[in-house]
Amino acid sequence: MSGKVRITIDGKAIETAAGEKILWAALDNGIYIPHLCSIRENHSPFASCRLCFVEIEGYPGPVTACTEGAAEGMAVRTRSERVDRLVRTGFEMIMSNHRTECGVCPKNRSCALQKIAKERGLRLKPGRLEKLDRNLPVDDTAESIIYDPNKCVLCGRCVWTCKKTGSGTLGFAKRGFDRMVTTFLEAPLGESGCSGCSACAEACPVGALALKR
Amino acid sequence: MNANKTAAMVLDEIRAEALRSWEQMRQKTLIAVGAATCGRAVGALEVAGVFREEIERLKVDAAVIEVGCMGHCYAEPMAFIFKPGFPGICYGYLNEGLAARLVRDFLVDGDPCVEFALAADGVNDFIPTFQDFPRGLVEQKMVMEHCGLIDPENIEHYLAVGGYGALAAALAMDPGEVAKLVKASGLRGRGGAGFPTGSKWDLCRAAGEKTRYVICNADEGDPGAFMDRTILESNPHLVVEGLAIAAYAVGAGKGYFYIRAEYPLAVERIRKALDQAGKYGILGKSVLGTGFGLEIEVFQGSGAFVCGEETALIASMEGKPGLPRHRPPFPSEAGLFGKPTVINNVKTLSYVPYILRNGADRFKETGTPGSPGTAIFALAGKLVNTGLTEVPMGTTLRQIIYDVGSGIAGNSNFKAVQIGGPSGGCLPGETLDTPIDFDSLTRAGAMMGSGGIVVLDENDCMVEMARFFLDFTQKESCGKCTFCRLGTRHMLGILERITRGEGRPEDMDLLLELAGDIRAGSLCSLGKTAPNPVLSTLKYFRDEYEAHIFEKRCPALMCKDLIAYYILPHKCERSCDACVGSCPVEAIYSNEDRIKVINQEKCVKCNSCLVACPPQYRAVVKVSPPDLAAGKEKENDERKSQDNH
Amino acid sequence: MQLTEEERKEAVEKSREILARYDGSRGGLIPALQQIQDVLGYVPAEAMREAAGHFGMPAVDVYGVVTFYNQFRLTPPGRHQVKVCMGTACHMKGGNIIMESWERVLKVKVGETTPDREFSLERVACVGCCTMAPVALVNETVHGKMTPTKVDGLYFSHQLANQQKKEGMPE
Repeated sequence: MSGKVRITIDGKAIETAAGEKILWAALDNGIYIPHLCSIRENHSPFASCRLCFVEIEGYPGPVTACTEGAAEGMAVRTRSERVDRLVRTGFEMIMSNHRTECGVCPKNRSCALQKIAKERGLRLKPGRLEKLDRNLPVDDTAESIIYDPNKCVLCGRCVWTCKKTGSGTLGFAKRGFDRMVTTFLEAPLGESGCSGCSACAEACPVGALALKR
Repeated sequence: MNANKTAAMVLDEIRAEALRSWEQMRQKTLIAVGAATCGRAVGALEVAGVFREEIERLKVDAAVIEVGCMGHCYAEPMAFIFKPGFPGICYGYLNEGLAARLVRDFLVDGDPCVEFALAADGVNDFIPTFQDFPRGLVEQKMVMEHCGLIDPENIEHYLAVGGYGALAAALAMDPGEVAKLVKASGLRGRGGAGFPTGSKWDLCRAAGEKTRYVICNADEGDPGAFMDRTILESNPHLVVEGLAIAAYAVGAGKGYFYIRAEYPLAVERIRKALDQAGKYGILGKSVLGTGFGLEIEVFQGSGAFVCGEETALIASMEGKPGLPRHRPPFPSEAGLFGKPTVINNVKTLSYVPYILRNGADRFKETGTPGSPGTAIFALAGKLVNTGLTEVPMGTTLRQIIYDVGSGIAGNSNFKAVQIGGPSGGCLPGETLDTPIDFDSLTRAGAMMGSGGIVVLDENDCMVEMARFFLDFTQKESCGKCTFCRLGTRHMLGILERITRGEGRPEDMDLLLELAGDIRAGSLCSLGKTAPNPVLSTLKYFRDEYEAHIFEKRCPALMCKDLIAYYILPHKCERSCDACVGSCPVEAIYSNEDRIKVINQEKCVKCNSCLVACPPQYRAVVKVSPPDLAAGKEKENDERKSQDNH
Repeated sequence: MQLTEEERKEAVEKSREILARYDGSRGGLIPALQQIQDVLGYVPAEAMREAAGHFGMPAVDVYGVVTFYNQFRLTPPGRHQVKVCMGTACHMKGGNIIMESWERVLKVKVGETTPDREFSLERVACVGCCTMAPVALVNETVHGKMTPTKVDGLYFSHQLANQQKKEGMPE
């Protein structure tokens, strides 16, 4: 994996470590690719948000930039009709399941969803799709953190962080549409043994876990 | 074990004893009762019980054994009676009374009761054999040869019919040669995707790690599929042998059966088989005395369809939720606990002994050039003869439905065939003559899947069918990736509103767009193939979608919200009250003419009255759209009031 | 769910007994949970805590596993578990009608347990008995070719058996 390779992203020549994921190579060089679930230190990427699609020359269809390692001579395009269509649909799906209340949201203006919408000219409304609000109770039992599962996009960054630097309180439970970030027995954060380090709020890209103001 | 002996010599010693007891058994009368889950569901164990009691009572020298299923599930409970001096005779549709009669009339008095015989196992003058059936001409048995004819819980039976000979032959070869032979046979994975098995083994062999695993994927989750269950229950040793050969070929010292939770009998029989094989020295520290060590364990699934996907299967064996992960790396390079792992389907492994015994060329003689061998299909739905069948690849759906399945049951007409389960599709009549193999089905918009075939008739609604499968995948989605978790949910929502009669004109286009994006954007094959039922029904049965959306009408009279039950006054028999009694919610009353009328407000559309109405009247009908019923009732009232005037 | 002190103790003891058969490697988690459920009928919170300790993982991850798979239950089941197959063949042959019939006789909805804990009613994806559709299971016994009247019959025979047991009558 050592050694540098030369690739192009949107025509721009870039030198990066061999095997470096395209997503990070692009971001390092000021080229934006939408993403929610990727964590640089995680060497087996979740690849779950499905927003970082790119085209690579010679590949039959768009692939996720977070899983694709750079190889000498690779030609990457971050935009194409197919990529834009997938990103638009994926984003619409996520927005259909995200309680949008930007006006009162602590993440307003620093939200990853707003950034994706702005960069790609997408709307925050789910468009063709119906809203699928999960109507779960908002948890404000913890001293410094507030958790609104209805805003959660299941990127898993909080769970990762909680296991690395926190108390290992957060995890995923259930499956399918009911999949959620929660605690043991779905106890409120205030009664869950959470250490209150608030690393999760730091990691959350969308304001589902946020510091109390 | 003596180091100078070859595996074949060791096996011969074991087999000699097995053959002796097999011959002994065949010298007296033997009753083999089909006791796989399908038979048990309709009373096979009770029938076996009666056989035993009567034999005991009448002091007949005969033995009763429980065997697996030979595929003629429609006729369960079934039993084969082997009486010296007679061909083996198979009796179907048994019940306790018939069993008692067979013991008395046949075993005691020597009358084989030909009127109850289904078929015989050898050519004779009075009973046709299974080969004389139309399906006999189509079927060819490579895997199911002994299913339903040997006791799956007795390793001696398997040994007596040549079992474990392929393993002994493999052990005499270089492992690389075994992989090469399987590769040369062109065997493709029968789990659905059709990946060449030999190549999978080669990938694993090439991996650097020394610790390797082989796993038999028996997480048969497709609704409508029961091939794997039947094989595991009917001939477990065959699969054990296949897995052992795979382990030897790739150099794995540890193997697993991953069996789904819903198959308790399969788990029990595989456990017994492993135990027996261990005792006979066929598994364990030195397989057939060769020094090659192999332990095999059973891992039970916990109820998650997605675990049929190999990376999810591995996750669950590692004690995690069954979430698929991005590939590469493929399990053959980094699988269970990060080690190179070969995962093969039950059917795939069941072909391996055949290939070892008969060679790659013989295997390739059957089937199509791209998909050699046979295919095993589970036939269910609106067929006369449901069950399991093994036919050469390249057989047409028409042959399977009409020759094997004997056509559509009742007075109904064929509409479609659902093949491949939730990842497959619904194919219409015009595709029936396509020879089926992996590639032709994909071209037609379905998928081989694991081989479940559900035949649908004109009473089955295609929109409802699509809704059913999306409801399934949506419930079984692991929820990890956006397109599957939310995409299938949205598709289901749209299909639900169409079946409720609230569909919108733009819904069909929206479904097509979402389907395309879910297929391209999902992480694993569960998500990627989830739209297939919708795509295929939209392609072939668009008119049904249109009827639901634009006319609020279900042409198949199936969607509950779009139908009403109605009693035809001119057909209703005044003296009959069957429907009134059958109604669980008291929605049916007699009017002043003693003609029965349904109170539409109260009716829960449970279908009971339609079933209860005696066939000579057939007065209860379904109508769509539902206000037709109200309209008709109004018409009747008006006509009556005019008559009165 | 609130357990009595005794029930809690039993759950902990049984779980420890079962867990002791597994070394700490995480591959043992699901088989151990399956055994716990076999013995206790469900996986209580105490068992999940014990398993977390045994396998050295956060309790929330055990909860994640238990809630991911259909098979695991967090509450005790009824003494008789009724499962109605909802596979393709059963669906097309009126599996829903069989489910509704059970709901009607048991007076509970799918996923619920009767107040006397006698029956719980569940759906199952496919038991592979498609040729006998529609199919229902009572405990481990598969009943094929179900009809609403067969549902009534099965229910009443269980009621009858129970009544006889209560009255202490043999057979």
